[in-house]
Amino acid sequence: MSEKGAELAVRALERQGVEYVFGYPGGAIMPVYDALLNSPIKHILARHEQGAALAADAYARVTGRPAVCIATSGPGATNLVTGIANAFMDSVPLVIITGQVPTVVMGTDAFQEVDVFGITMPIVKHSFIVRRAEDIPGTIARAFQIAAEGRPGPVLVDLPKDISNAVPDAAPIFEMQRDRRDSPDPEQLAAARALIANAKRPVLYGGGGIPMAGAVDAFRAYARASGIPVVTTLKGIGSVPTRDENFLGMLGMHGNRAANLAIQESDLLICVGARFDDRATGRLDGFAPKARVVHMDADASEIGKLRHADAGLLGDLFESLAAMPTGLDIAPWQEWCAARKAEHAWRYDAPGDYIYVPHMLRRLTESAPDLTIACDVGQHQMWVAQHCHFDRPEQHLTSAGLGTMGYGIPAGIGACLARPGARVVTVSGDGSVMMNIQELATIRRYGLDLKILLVDNSSLGMVRQWQELFHQERYSEVDLSDNPDFVEVARSFGIPGFRITRRDEVEDAIHRLLHTEGPLLAHVCIDPKSNVWPLVPPGQSNDVMMEELSA
Amino acid sequence: MNHTLQMNIQKVEGAIIRLLGLIERRGFCVTAMNAHSDDAAQQVQITVDLHCGSRSVETLTRQIEKLYDVRSVACLTASEPAVVMKESVAC
Repeated sequence: MSEKGAELAVRALERQGVEYVFGYPGGAIMPVYDALLNSPIKHILARHEQGAALAADAYARVTGRPAVCIATSGPGATNLVTGIANAFMDSVPLVIITGQVPTVVMGTDAFQEVDVFGITMPIVKHSFIVRRAEDIPGTIARAFQIAAEGRPGPVLVDLPKDISNAVPDAAPIFEMQRDRRDSPDPEQLAAARALIANAKRPVLYGGGGIPMAGAVDAFRAYARASGIPVVTTLKGIGSVPTRDENFLGMLGMHGNRAANLAIQESDLLICVGARFDDRATGRLDGFAPKARVVHMDADASEIGKLRHADAGLLGDLFESLAAMPTGLDIAPWQEWCAARKAEHAWRYDAPGDYIYVPHMLRRLTESAPDLTIACDVGQHQMWVAQHCHFDRPEQHLTSAGLGTMGYGIPAGIGACLARPGARVVTVSGDGSVMMNIQELATIRRYGLDLKILLVDNSSLGMVRQWQELFHQERYSEVDLSDNPDFVEVARSFGIPGFRITRRDEVEDAIHRLLHTEGPLLAHVCIDPKSNVWPLVPPGQSNDVMMEELSA
Repeated sequence: MNHTLQMNIQKVEGAIIRLLGLIERRGFCVTAMNAHSDDAAQQVQITVDLHCGSRSVETLTRQIEKLYDVRSVACLTASEPAVVMKESVAC
């Protein structure tokens, strides 16, 4: 019997080796959900399409392969939009399949019709509307290829219902294409080698492109062999182990002072898979003012976009890193960096009785070095980036480019499914957690062993901090003291929880989180006035770092 | 600074709007354009005159090249010195 379009779509996913799809059913996508009943692919039902997209995003980050999310037309598709944008900004390979109203009524404002192809155009790597059933397998194969090759990103396939219900006239083609990799230009390689060999104060500035390219080992090998001090972006954290002696920390707005000072003093920046984002550079013309730049990236349009590259190495990071020189004469510079690192090491002797979140987070990853942390967005996100230890980038899941509040719980779900048996903790805030709180039901439904560390300052902390510092303490809509009882909320979803409010309860809470079977929520009440330090004020260069104001 | 870009794109759904959308989103203003569809070759030739403030047309060209439906792009006007963004105005 000939297969319908929807069955061809599911078979095409099977051919890509898809184990899980994340989604939510509805009218226009029903043929695909019907076909999924006959497939070994497991469907994870989120309770909001955004949760499905963000869980798929994290699943892709951990596995390094494209992940799939599915939704129906209209509101199902628009609810995916934030998740698609999140994947686009952080270069995550996603294949998004949306149901669409039948082609005969497309463009007539039919029930649940929305032009998701048009809406998502600025936030996808590419997108398709499938107009013939026989094109479905080939389109899905191309979507996977485009999502994964070069600089990864989300690819949308919009599937009208009449096409997914149709039996194709012509034989469908399940095409597979080979991954295409660019190689760096030999002249640019030679220029980069000369720049590095002659540098006295080089810094490796590593970004999310390193894990995305599967080049973590190559990056570590070069960092170790060359002895060049390393700083990373938010997404690059873990590209070298955070305990590595050459690692100075994250750079940028909430970066480590030693990392920012090293960048400012450097005479050569070796940018590996990073993009000079404004949160990393601060005021651009004050960023690394004495440095020349070697820029390695899979995306030609990033090289020279914001900062001139003296040598631009397009393509394969392995090839570029393997060709760079070692045996450098930079001992005085290494000593200078080591001294700055010691001088500006984090301190955990904060006065007062409130729970000190940086210390709690440091203790958490000291107690469990294998931990994967899925972050939400805000102050706690920066504290995780500053204070947690990570051996690998896949252990640190964070919404970097888009800054999507609500990422944490879905990302934790995706990580649990990507690596069964791994210890995963979602670190969230009382603002972020409410943005996808419905996904507690997904944790419960699939019996996922996801722990949630909910840091609660009864306010929208990062916005409150900026209003305090840059808006003369004029607080506007940041008070969340009417939050629900989060322990009761979790309990109503069938997830046990407990609350701590004092420092002397922290160690026991960490022990419970790490040694309890099944999901668990720890509600941690902290000082509502806590701030993230240090801070580069917006529009300033990275050597202007504000420290904690004296009480 | 004014530039002229000549592009050859595949004749597929969304290709023209994707191209023009990218040009405007990246901070360029289209001042004139001409499009010619070649049905036999399944491609569209588009010539666009642009005006830009401080953005680099070289970077725009590379961003256009990344579009999956774009076969070729050429800048017909002289290149300009590298643009240095003077300050961060991000929030």
